[in-house]
Amino acid sequence: MTKNTQPKIDLYKQHKNEYAAPKKPVLIDIKPALYLAIEGQGEPGGERFQTNIGALYGAAFTIKMTRKFAGQQDYAVCKLEAQWWSDAGPDLSKAPKDQWRWNLLIRTPGFVTEEELRKAAAVLVKRGKGREVEQVRLDSLAEGTCAQMLHVGPYDQECVTVAMMKEFAATKQLEFHGRHHEIYLSDPRRVPPERLKTLLRCPVRPQTARIGPHGLGRH
Amino acid sequence: MRTATLDDYKQRLLRVLVHIQEHLDESLSLDELAGLACFSPFHFHRIFKGMVGESVKEHVRRLRIERAATRLKLGAQPVVGIALEAGYESHEAFTRSFRSVFGVSPSRFRASNRRATAAAPSGLHFADGAKIGHFKTVQPGGKKMEVTIVRRGPLRVAFMRHVGRYSTVGKTWDRFLPLAGKEGLLGGGAEFIGLCHDDPEVTPQHRVRYDACVSVDESFRPMGEIGVQVIAGGEYAMTTHFGPYDALGRTYTRLLGQWLPRSGRQLRACPCFEVYLNDPQSTDPKDLITDIYAPLEARLAIFAR
Repeated sequence: MTKNTQPKIDLYKQHKNEYAAPKKPVLIDIKPALYLAIEGQGEPGGERFQTNIGALYGAAFTIKMTRKFAGQQDYAVCKLEAQWWSDAGPDLSKAPKDQWRWNLLIRTPGFVTEEELRKAAAVLVKRGKGREVEQVRLDSLAEGTCAQMLHVGPYDQECVTVAMMKEFAATKQLEFHGRHHEIYLSDPRRVPPERLKTLLRCPVRPQTARIGPHGLGRH
Repeated sequence: MRTATLDDYKQRLLRVLVHIQEHLDESLSLDELAGLACFSPFHFHRIFKGMVGESVKEHVRRLRIERAATRLKLGAQPVVGIALEAGYESHEAFTRSFRSVFGVSPSRFRASNRRATAAAPSGLHFADGAKIGHFKTVQPGGKKMEVTIVRRGPLRVAFMRHVGRYSTVGKTWDRFLPLAGKEGLLGGGAEFIGLCHDDPEVTPQHRVRYDACVSVDESFRPMGEIGVQVIAGGEYAMTTHFGPYDALGRTYTRLLGQWLPRSGRQLRACPCFEVYLNDPQSTDPKDLITDIYAPLEARLAIFAR
């Protein structure tokens, strides 16, 4: 085991401005970033959801530790993030929870390769850690300009914060576009719901179409 | 059948407290003291500290200083002799210690009207020849401690042994996790556990034994520096510690010294362990969450005086 003397990478610190957690909505330019990702559908906190979180963390730690063992550049494994959407329509809170779709994410340094991910999955499957890890992908997101705000409280009250973000975007002649993205700053296993901190993010674009009194029309 | 009450705990501890007073000049081993009170040596120190409000060492030191203060008041014995009796090899060391307890030097104390008792949460003081029959337990202050009784099955773990300061266990984790990681042990909801064989507040720092553990299934075989052991199943008192690892000791002391004596339960003679719920590399120390497990004797086992 050779020693790598380069300081450990902390992506959240490196991209501090992208993880600003303001109490009021702000616009932030999010640069393209690489994630380990696993997609699925079903109730948040349900069995499938939990198994997938385990698979994602398993891949993240196995890749990181295998690199560390080989003396390669060390980095901190980032917090859990997720994109949420539903095929039923843009308002997630109106769709039944079992139809919620999610893409669980852990941000990863750009130097992590497909091959490392494949090897990590193979070693985990061999250890009997479940086949779900084979579903983990390397996913690149380019979200661009996003509305972002810190939500404090239970997950099922996020709609209040989201409404504020939407309203804020509208004042800037912007509209939501793309998947709702959240970054879990607190650990829901022990932190009481009213104290949970979650960073909410949604890509925005200039308002394109609006339903006016005369139907669909451009402004 | 009856359960262990707070009074039982106090009676057991009283035997230790009396023994200390009667053998103030002997070196008192923790194992011996634990034995007197029928406490497992694993947990005795924390129970003592939690109930009496000072560690055994602090308690003995204070009593010796109080005895010295009494001697200063009652006789004309030279300070040097009193210092020797109190277990100090030099006048200076004794003066320093004495001043930290009474706020003044021994000679000034002798000339003053101060009482020869120092502040003590237990209300217990040096009692020359007199029997002590009562002490105050430290009352649990602040927010009520949330403790859950949980039943855990036996847990097989891969581990790497750390011997040395508790504050440097991170280095052992740093060696252990890359080895465990490349073997695929860190997936599928593996638990990260610290098994503390010694109390870092009692055992000399360079000899504290701690195992960095990751839960594994039956198929894992020991390899190189990584061993395998089974953490016993059974009932555990579990409480969650929020915040930095260096403050874990306080939560242990509260759990074992304040919650336990009022719980009607007794501890089993095996080590406590802690389960780390987050990754300290990417978590702010104030946001760290750790579950502490203290092994409980089965309910039927009763304490017989």
